[in-house]
Amino acid sequence: MKKILRNTFLVSYMVVLLVGQSVIAQTPPTASASATPTVVVDKDIQQLKDKIANKVSEIRKENNKAISGFVLKIDGNNMQLNNKEDVNQVKFDDTLTKVFKVLGTTKKEIKTSDISKDDYAIASGVVADNIITANVVLIDENFLADSGKITEINKDTYNIKVLTSDKNTYSLDIETSTKQYMIDIKTLSRDTIGFSKLKEGDMVHFVVKKTGKEKDNNYPAVKILIIPQEYFIK
Amino acid sequence: MKKETITAIILGLIFGGIVAIFISLKSKDMELAKNKVIAPPKEKALSSNLTETEIQNLEISEPANNAIFEKNMVRFKGVAAKDSLMVIQSPIKDLVFKNTQGKFDLEFPLALGENSIKIVVYPKEKQFRAQEKYIKIYYIDSEL
Repeated sequence: MKKILRNTFLVSYMVVLLVGQSVIAQTPPTASASATPTVVVDKDIQQLKDKIANKVSEIRKENNKAISGFVLKIDGNNMQLNNKEDVNQVKFDDTLTKVFKVLGTTKKEIKTSDISKDDYAIASGVVADNIITANVVLIDENFLADSGKITEINKDTYNIKVLTSDKNTYSLDIETSTKQYMIDIKTLSRDTIGFSKLKEGDMVHFVVKKTGKEKDNNYPAVKILIIPQEYFIK
Repeated sequence: MKKETITAIILGLIFGGIVAIFISLKSKDMELAKNKVIAPPKEKALSSNLTETEIQNLEISEPANNAIFEKNMVRFKGVAAKDSLMVIQSPIKDLVFKNTQGKFDLEFPLALGENSIKIVVYPKEKQFRAQEKYIKIYYIDSEL
């Protein structure tokens, strides 16, 4: 009996071995199979390295956040930014943090000590425990884009009142520097206009610069774009 | 040849055959799994059967609010009511166009730092109110 079992096992082993070899022979060769073992190992290590590097970059990007607000307080390596919703803590890293002042389309590197209270700052970096460790801080201007209907025009003071969809009323000063445009209702092209072209009932899309010290929602307008009411009644 | 040996060979062939068939089937399955073609997901069909009291809401799939970009150009993608007038305004760009397709996908320039962007859709049917969205996105140059 023992002999039968031993022989059965031997024959089975040989059959499996033979079939196994033929299956392997039928399998199309892959790129790694054709390469020498050392090259395969090197390639695998490189792939693993790339994967790790990509993952690290992804995680860094995921955790990278940007916040903005007016500087409430700046003290050594810490800064507090205040926006409408909340106050955010920003930490500077001497070896990492770079600070720039945005001048239109260009930028100039400055020091953290050049940042003053009430500056508008944008900080980008990794957030941990509600504190952002800034990689980059940009000192810029705070712009707001909004739209609404012109409800009042004061031709003496060159001021317009605008009612937005959320029932907010803006008082906009149209200054000589304000860029004024109107949409051509036929071609939808943008034409430059003067203050006299504005009418109550027109829709206006505007951009204003916020300093945080405005009163009564009054702002000098940077840019206005008018959609004449005729567009909506055509 | 001894009877015992013949029995052993027959049993061995049967058992070996079973294992061989199992291996062969398993390897075929593995090959199939490797070569399986995954069909692209079906595109979400836009609801075309909107009644007179319904209108396509403004939906912006890209960019996300508070997103950070390393390039000074971003793609605006989304859907809005067909034939509506769309206005996308930022401090550096005013984009006004008729959204004839419903879907939109267009390039928009970004200024260095924070970009406050207002998107307004004026539906063609005047009984509907304008739809608005406001987003803040950041362009932080990768060289910084």
